[in-house]
Amino acid sequence: MQTPVTIPVPVLRLPRGPDGFSRGFAPDGRRAPLKPEVPQIQECPIAQESLESQEQRARAALRERYLRSLLAMVGRQVSFTLHEGVRVAAHFGATDLDVANFYVSQLQTPIGVQAEALLRCSDIISYTFKP
Amino acid sequence: MAMRQTPLTCSGHTRPVVDLAFSGITPYGYFLISACKGAGQHLPALSGQRYGKPMLRQGDTGDWIGTFLGHKGAVWGATLNKDASKAATAAADFTAKVWDAVSGDELMTLAHKHIVKTVDFTQDSNYLLTGGQDKLLRIYDLNKPEAEPKEISGHTSGIKKALWCSEDKQILSADDKTVRLWDHATMTEVKSLNFNMSVSSMEYIPEGEILVITYGRSIAFHSAVSLDPIKSFEAPATINSASLHPEKEFLVAGGEDFKLYKYDYNSGEELESYKGHFGPIHCVRFSPDGELYASGSEDGTLRLWQTVVGKTYGLWKCVLPEEDSAELAKPKLGFPETTEEELEEMTSENSDCIYSSTPDVKA
Repeated sequence: MQTPVTIPVPVLRLPRGPDGFSRGFAPDGRRAPLKPEVPQIQECPIAQESLESQEQRARAALRERYLRSLLAMVGRQVSFTLHEGVRVAAHFGATDLDVANFYVSQLQTPIGVQAEALLRCSDIISYTFKP
Repeated sequence: MAMRQTPLTCSGHTRPVVDLAFSGITPYGYFLISACKGAGQHLPALSGQRYGKPMLRQGDTGDWIGTFLGHKGAVWGATLNKDASKAATAAADFTAKVWDAVSGDELMTLAHKHIVKTVDFTQDSNYLLTGGQDKLLRIYDLNKPEAEPKEISGHTSGIKKALWCSEDKQILSADDKTVRLWDHATMTEVKSLNFNMSVSSMEYIPEGEILVITYGRSIAFHSAVSLDPIKSFEAPATINSASLHPEKEFLVAGGEDFKLYKYDYNSGEELESYKGHFGPIHCVRFSPDGELYASGSEDGTLRLWQTVVGKTYGLWKCVLPEEDSAELAKPKLGFPETTEEELEEMTSENSDCIYSSTPDVKA
């Protein structure tokens, strides 16, 4: 039987495995900040860290949360508040690299339903959705 | 140029992987827990012991996050609550344990009278359902761990799987030859199904109240509310586990012939099949977003497979048609963390993969 000529899907890397010396659950792992810390005497491993790199980590964490919020929106019904008190609703599809435009479908506008549309983010004041 | 599935192998377990479960989708993505029968060799200090080591992984990449240490026997069942803040495991050491899935700490140990096989959280994570070889279903109030659990008896052989359903108002449980539906409030049996062959797995899909049951070579779909049959398919070999895609377009199944099968749920047509595991497949599950499915095998590995082959997702990178075709002969991205051997293994594992339909995979 002749198999079709195919190439394997490229991957960025293999999944990371256990580190071999600990049980994991890194205390500075991505989920640690959201969980409220039980008040305890903090050792000062981060005392030496400059304010700048702490801020950078906070910025990175916030950016990651925002990007994940966009991911969570895909396929969902989102309500947008635009200028001039205009409100529209649509199914969120995707954003571009700079988050300058939102690609949406079934956009409900005051003059009818648009099957596919691009919403300029500069036109959006706020948006909301239920995950 | 048609794309070939590249499964991602998650290492760490060296003993058979017998159960796996995904969390729901959380602000941090989704997570995967896997249970294995024996010692994970990655901790040299404990390598002499034959204890199952459930592992938590990032769901879309398979990256290891941590290992839950504490059980003193094979771990038969593992699950995560919806927001992946807690994990629960069922083991041959006659206990079920509840864990903090962020810190990895053990939160409670729930003593049983025999091997525990299955654990399931309610949607609000307030209750844990357990079942095992003592043939009893137990409901623990996780806010009152010292209190005695409520017990439901009726099974005449060891319980293999127990699940909450219908918004936690009912319970589904499977032993070797029966699947039973119980009312949570009255703790009584509502209905049961009998099988001539051993029930190997059960999955509950809340949206649509569908129950997926595998037995022999059959993959059967029933209403979770009435247990009435909806449809069933026959696979080429004995199936140990099957999972229905969240949008109910596909199902995947795996079993004793080491292969994974993907079917169109509506037509029953076999769409794809993959070799790759070196042992029988014990468990297979779709991720909550349906973009990938995970399989656990007797060969000690967990593998992640793309639902739509060639799509950019997780660690898989789409190859665009405009890119120079001369470079497409092999994966063109750098692999800083892999050795030559791993690359060889990665590509050669796919050399036997079989497509039963044309390379144009349905989206």
